Amino acid sequence: MFQSDKYVKRPFGRHRWMVMALPVILITLFSITEHRWTHAALAAENEGKIFQADISKTPLPEDIKWLTNDTDPVFASKDAKKGGTFHTSIMNFPLTFRVVGPDSNSSFRSAILGNQLSLIGIHPNTENIIPEIATHWAYGKDRKTMYFKLNKKARWSDGQPVTAHDFAYTLEFMRSKYIVAPWYNDYYTKEIDKVIVYDDETLAVVATKAEPDLHLKLAISPTPRHFFKELGKDFVRRYNWKIVPNTGPYQIVDFKKGKYIKFKRKRDWWAANLRYFKNRFNANSVIYKVVRDPNLVWEHFKKARFDVFGITIPKYWHVKTRIPIFKNGYAHKIWFFNDTQRSATGMWLNQDKAIFKDKRVRYAFAHAMNIQKVISEVLRNDYFRLEQGFVGYGRYTNPDIRARRFNLAKVDEYMKSAGWHRGQDGIWEKGGMRFSVEVSYSVEEHTPRLVVLKEEAKKAGVELRLQKLDGAAAYKKIMEKKHTVAWMGWSTSMRPQYWEHFHSVNAHKPQTNNITNTDDAKMDRLIDAYRNSLDEEERIALSRKIQVRIHEIGPFVPTFMVPYVRQAYWRWWRLPRVPGTKTSDTLFDPFNSSNGGLFWYDKARYEETKKAMKRKKVFPPVTIIDKTFKRP
Amino acid sequence: MKLNPLTIRKIRRFKSIKRGYFSFLLFVMMLTVSLFAELLVNNRALVVHYEGHYYFPTYGHMLPGTTFGLAYDYETNYRELSARFERENKGNRVWLPPVPYNPYETDLKTDAYPPFAPSIAEKHYLGTDAVGRDILARLVYGFRIAIAFSLLLLVTNYTIGVSIGSAMGFWGGKFDLIFQRIIEIWSNVPFLYVIIIISSIVVPSFLMLVLIMAIFGWISITWTMRTVTYKERSREYVLAARALGASNFRIIFKHIIPNTIAIIVTFAPFSVSGGIVALTSLDYLGFGLPPPTPSWGELLRQGWTNLDAWWISGSVIAAMVITLMIVTFIGEAVREAFDPKLHTTYE
Repeated sequence: MFQSDKYVKRPFGRHRWMVMALPVILITLFSITEHRWTHAALAAENEGKIFQADISKTPLPEDIKWLTNDTDPVFASKDAKKGGTFHTSIMNFPLTFRVVGPDSNSSFRSAILGNQLSLIGIHPNTENIIPEIATHWAYGKDRKTMYFKLNKKARWSDGQPVTAHDFAYTLEFMRSKYIVAPWYNDYYTKEIDKVIVYDDETLAVVATKAEPDLHLKLAISPTPRHFFKELGKDFVRRYNWKIVPNTGPYQIVDFKKGKYIKFKRKRDWWAANLRYFKNRFNANSVIYKVVRDPNLVWEHFKKARFDVFGITIPKYWHVKTRIPIFKNGYAHKIWFFNDTQRSATGMWLNQDKAIFKDKRVRYAFAHAMNIQKVISEVLRNDYFRLEQGFVGYGRYTNPDIRARRFNLAKVDEYMKSAGWHRGQDGIWEKGGMRFSVEVSYSVEEHTPRLVVLKEEAKKAGVELRLQKLDGAAAYKKIMEKKHTVAWMGWSTSMRPQYWEHFHSVNAHKPQTNNITNTDDAKMDRLIDAYRNSLDEEERIALSRKIQVRIHEIGPFVPTFMVPYVRQAYWRWWRLPRVPGTKTSDTLFDPFNSSNGGLFWYDKARYEETKKAMKRKKVFPPVTIIDKTFKRP
Repeated sequence: MKLNPLTIRKIRRFKSIKRGYFSFLLFVMMLTVSLFAELLVNNRALVVHYEGHYYFPTYGHMLPGTTFGLAYDYETNYRELSARFERENKGNRVWLPPVPYNPYETDLKTDAYPPFAPSIAEKHYLGTDAVGRDILARLVYGFRIAIAFSLLLLVTNYTIGVSIGSAMGFWGGKFDLIFQRIIEIWSNVPFLYVIIIISSIVVPSFLMLVLIMAIFGWISITWTMRTVTYKERSREYVLAARALGASNFRIIFKHIIPNTIAIIVTFAPFSVSGGIVALTSLDYLGFGLPPPTPSWGELLRQGWTNLDAWWISGSVIAAMVITLMIVTFIGEAVREAFDPKLHTTYE
């Protein structure tokens, strides 16, 4: 179940980085023939006729209720000023500027998409709908249609007005076989039925089926039909390095392949004064520079060649930042707690393996994992215990569930009641079975954590055999359900997804996300009800019940979460009083239309700091810890 | 056992090369020590005297804490037990090994984070690694694994390589021609990549790693053996053996190979050091034995990522340099001892 491509579930988030290693090699090869791109290159391209959708013959229904939102709190600061250049780094130069088709799924894609607004957005703190390109929206009676009125001022970066036809064109574009993006072809066919154009500023988007949270699915983005005109076989090659007109605050103005990409703020951006965009997107330019080694990025940051550096990793926060630029107050540290969906990270027990068929053994296993010790003695108390698999989903999360804690007495109790006894080496035994399980994992940095767990589990009579696999091999093993215990985390989505992980339809067969092989009739009933319900309150109640049931079945031992972001930044960059939003995973995202662009450049401070550094004058050191969104 | 006078002369010659001979003694000592490492480096006590009884926990089953009146069912922490007995002063006593840590246990503290610097008071004579495990313990057990690995690898490689090499030399002709081509093709397979690919799919166990390495490792000795066998084959004693009706198998294994043993022996020490280096580099790259097996390569990698913790890279580099040097000195001396010309020196 995918709600939109942003929320596609991919196990092994890190695995994508391994894939990114190849581009490094390719870029190094190709960057020999760098050439600079200029605006002129764009001229006189694209012959062909411009797409025009049919105007609907049936008029707009009269009984719909137009909604808007101009009452939610704003989260940008009134003190924000425009100006400055924001320097940041990327690991690899993107292989293309296209956002669909081959090689387009790099991390840089989010920078391009951040400048591509949708019909509506989600308020990062209240989760209510807020206007983006549409000013008003309305729900259809059939529960699968939404109507939108566009902002008359909306303009593409080349000055063309954004019209309803551009949204109809999105469907045309995404369904085209020329873009070589089967996933999008499929999604925009099977999930989105059609776009109905009533006039230039009014349209409806229709889903293929009625479903809850319709707004998450139907908030599509426009595609500049006047730019693409007719697509052809050469799409992939032709648009590799084309700068596509956008609707957001910035546009790419310059780049050098393999070196840098420069964005410039639009002087007269049409949405600059909208309620939720005001005082945001303040830097005049944003430059992404390619630096392929994180240690090197840190060195650049220390020389103020980059403005911000992520220091979430304990070693950076505690040790590496004990240097003069922080002691003298030239650079600041901030620790910001957010409140967003947490990855379901932990140990996934395969219930098809004989040993884990017994619920009591699963419970005992959970009680034998000394997660707390790992947190306090390996992770410097910087990580937090994850209580269950679906934390941070707002009201969809059941706050009463607590993960099973390390408890030797309980292990004894469960194991004895299941008929096991301790063998001569202290490990539990029963009829030729030993409580010795293989833990498959793929991230080298996790070895210290597992080593401590292993030693502690021995006390509880459980032997862990650590199996470190290459990312792809681990993925394959787990997807084929050949693991006993998988040590991994899932990426998150806007709403909890239970069907793929816990429904019996997906159990006992390879290539599904039910890696615990959970097969439980009560669970199936709850999940089916949750999937079929269109009523939010009912869904929330069911969601909480499902989480209780997962805890009762016990196939998942939740481990850690990092409910915050920590960053270091030079003091001439300023943040609002509440420096981020509930969903911010960085405080210095220059583009994200939902929660980005809150920071601004303080010219006076820049000059003051530069002068002070020259004269060896110091400021008091600053470390901000913001707990506005911290859950108790 | 009666030794061939030639062999006695070789041994005497080897003994006279002091550097090689002492290296050999040192090597034997290191081997012996590592074989009985459990008695010297272990978290299990050597002897526990508790209420009139003597316990010897080193070898044998795990003794739960309840055995010594402690309140837990898991393995006794003998370091704590020792301190406790001393406090109580009731005549109970624990004799701990000189390094009271095993290579797997993490000795963590609540207010500080590993790696911890060497400390004689805590008996971490070479400090701890980034997870809090004793480095000396990991070095000793890692040495045992590395040396066992390379000796086993040596035996496997030489058994295959020597047999095939002498068969090629002995029979010659088409057999030789075909095998030469097979070996040429086989030796062009980039074996490090193959190992990396295999071990990223399955986590290799100790024996499996030996096997994988042996699949590619037997090649080098075949060329040498082939050449020597060619030479030996035409000697009179082979002809005589054949005239007496000895089978090919008997001729190769009973007559030819004993006469080429000098060559095999001179190559062996260098293969041992090659095996150690190979295992260490595989572990360093993360494709060797699965964690948390004590391994020098893994320590080396930790040393590299924690350069400020000098004791990690310092001890493992020192250990490697000493071991490889000793093995090379032995090899050099063996080569010289087996050299029919008395005047050559190894450079």
